[in-house]
Amino acid sequence: MKFTVPIGPQHPALKEPISLRMTLEGEVIRGVDIRLGYNHRGLEKLAEEKTWLQNIYVTERICGICSHSHATCYTQGVEKLMEVEPPKRGISLRFLVAELERVHSHLLWLGVAGHEAGFDTFFMYTWRDREVVMDILEMISGNRVHYAINTLGGVRRDIDELQKKKILDSLGILRRRSEYYFKIGASEPSFVARIAGVGPLSKADALALCAVGPTARASDIPQDVRKDDPYGVYAEVPFEVATATTCDVLGRVVVRVKELMQSYNIIEFLLKNLPDGPVAVRAPRRAKPNEVVSRYEAPRGENIHYIKSNGSDKPERLKVRAPTLANYPATVVMLKDGYIADIPLIFAAIDPCICCAERTVALVDGRSGQESVVLMSELRRKARERWKKAPPKKDAVWPF
Amino acid sequence: MNDVEIIEKTKALLGDKVLEISNPALRRVFLKVDPKNLIPAVEVLKNSLGFIYVATISGLDSGENFEIIYHFAKPGSQLNLRTLVPKAHPHVESICAVIPGAILYERELQDMFGLVVDHIPDPRRLVLPDDWPEGNYPLRKDWKYERPPEKIPGGKS
Repeated sequence: MKFTVPIGPQHPALKEPISLRMTLEGEVIRGVDIRLGYNHRGLEKLAEEKTWLQNIYVTERICGICSHSHATCYTQGVEKLMEVEPPKRGISLRFLVAELERVHSHLLWLGVAGHEAGFDTFFMYTWRDREVVMDILEMISGNRVHYAINTLGGVRRDIDELQKKKILDSLGILRRRSEYYFKIGASEPSFVARIAGVGPLSKADALALCAVGPTARASDIPQDVRKDDPYGVYAEVPFEVATATTCDVLGRVVVRVKELMQSYNIIEFLLKNLPDGPVAVRAPRRAKPNEVVSRYEAPRGENIHYIKSNGSDKPERLKVRAPTLANYPATVVMLKDGYIADIPLIFAAIDPCICCAERTVALVDGRSGQESVVLMSELRRKARERWKKAPPKKDAVWPF
Repeated sequence: MNDVEIIEKTKALLGDKVLEISNPALRRVFLKVDPKNLIPAVEVLKNSLGFIYVATISGLDSGENFEIIYHFAKPGSQLNLRTLVPKAHPHVESICAVIPGAILYERELQDMFGLVVDHIPDPRRLVLPDDWPEGNYPLRKDWKYERPPEKIPGGKS
C-alpha cells in the first residue's frame, strides 16, 4: 500500500514555504514531488519600480538569515554598473559583516542539525554561542538581523579601535567554543551514527542537478564562489575550501564545522589588515545601459543576481536566484529511498531555514484519502524511536 | 582556462552558430545563439568546455522579443548563453535532457513569461498559484497588477 504524505506548505517562519508530497511504501520514500510558490512575493517585479538605492533594502529582505548576502550581491553588481569603486576600508567592512553572518548562519544550522538528530544539548550550546556573534553584529550595525550596512559605494557605518578589540576578544571565545564541535563526534558516537549515511547524494548526482554550497561541498565538489570567482576581498584573503567525501548529512555537518574555522580566520585577517580611509564614496543616481552578473557565496551556497540597467534610476530587470532553490532538485534525490523518519534531518541539511519546524504534516491514506494530521514534533519523536531500535552504525567515523 | 581561451574554443567548436560573443568583464563571457541552435550550443558547452553547472536562467522582456539567458559557471569562469525568442511564437527547447538541474528554472520561465518550453519533463506550474488566471504573466513589461478595491464589511460602500 502506498501513501502520499504532503509536508508543508505553510510555516510563517520559513522564507520559502514549500510543499513536499512524498509517496511512501511502508516507511520508505519512493517518490518526492516539490511544489513552490506559497510565499512568492513578486520581488523581481517590485524591484523594477524602485530606485537603485531603495532596492538594497528590498533585496536585504529576501531572506531573514542571510540578509547581508543578497544585499551585497546586489550592491556589488550595481556598483559595477555605475562604475563606482568603493574604498578599501568599505570593502573590508562589508565582507567582515559577510563572514560574521556566515558564522551566525552556520552556528544556527549546526544547532538545528543537532536538534533534528535528537541531540538537544548541541542545539543549546550552538545557539548560546550564536548570541556572541549576534552581539558583534548588533554592535557594528545596530541590528541583529537586517544589518542595513551596505550602500552604493561602500558601507554606512565605520568601526573604531574599541569595537575592533571587542570583536577580536569575542572571536577568541567563539574559537574556543567551536573547538568543542570538533570533538563532538569523538565523544558522542550516537550523534555520528544518527547522521552518517542519511540523505546520500552522490558526486555525479550533485553535479548533474547543479547543487550548490555546503550540499555540493559535502559531496566532494570543491565549489565555492569565493575561490572560483573571487570578488571583494577574497582574492587577497587566505582560506581553504572545506569539503567532505561522505556525501551524507555527516558530511554536511563536517563541511560547516570546517567553514566556521575558516570564517574565524578570515574575520581575524580582515580586522588585522583593515585599511584606513573613508568607508564610502558617493554613487550616482543613474546607471548607464548595461548588464552584469553578480555572484556571491552565501552561507547556503551560490547567490546569483542578473541586473540590467536602461539608463534610468531604476533597474530594467533584476533576477535573483537564491541557493535553496538550486538545492531542491538534489533534495529530491536525497530523500528518495530514505525513511520517513529522516525527512526532518535531510530537509534541514540543505539549510532551508526550517529552524522553527513545528510544521504540520498530514498523512493521507492512499486508498481512502483520509488525512491524519501529525505535528513535526511527533514525526521527530517517531524518528528517535526508530533509531533507538536500529543497530548503531559502528563503521561511521568522525573525521577530526 | 581563461576568458580568451574560452572564446576561441567556443568559436572554433560552434562556428557560424555563434551570433555574438563578448567579454565585458573579467570572468564574464556573453554568447548569443539562435534558438534553433540552443541544444547543440549547450551540448558543446557541457561536453567540450566543461560548463556542467547552470546557475540559473534569466528571462527578459525586451519589447518584440523575449531574451533568455542561461548562466553557466565553472571554477574560474562564468558564461552567459543568450537567445532571442519572438513574442509572437514564444517557444524554446528544454535543456533538461542535457542538464537535468535546469528544470526548476525552466518551469519558472513558463510561469513568469508565458514562454513555452518544448519537451520539458515536467510542465506544471512552479511558483504561481493553481487558481492564477490564464494568460497573466507577471514579468512581462505590459503586465500591471491592479489591486482590487477594498471592501470594508459593514462600512460605507
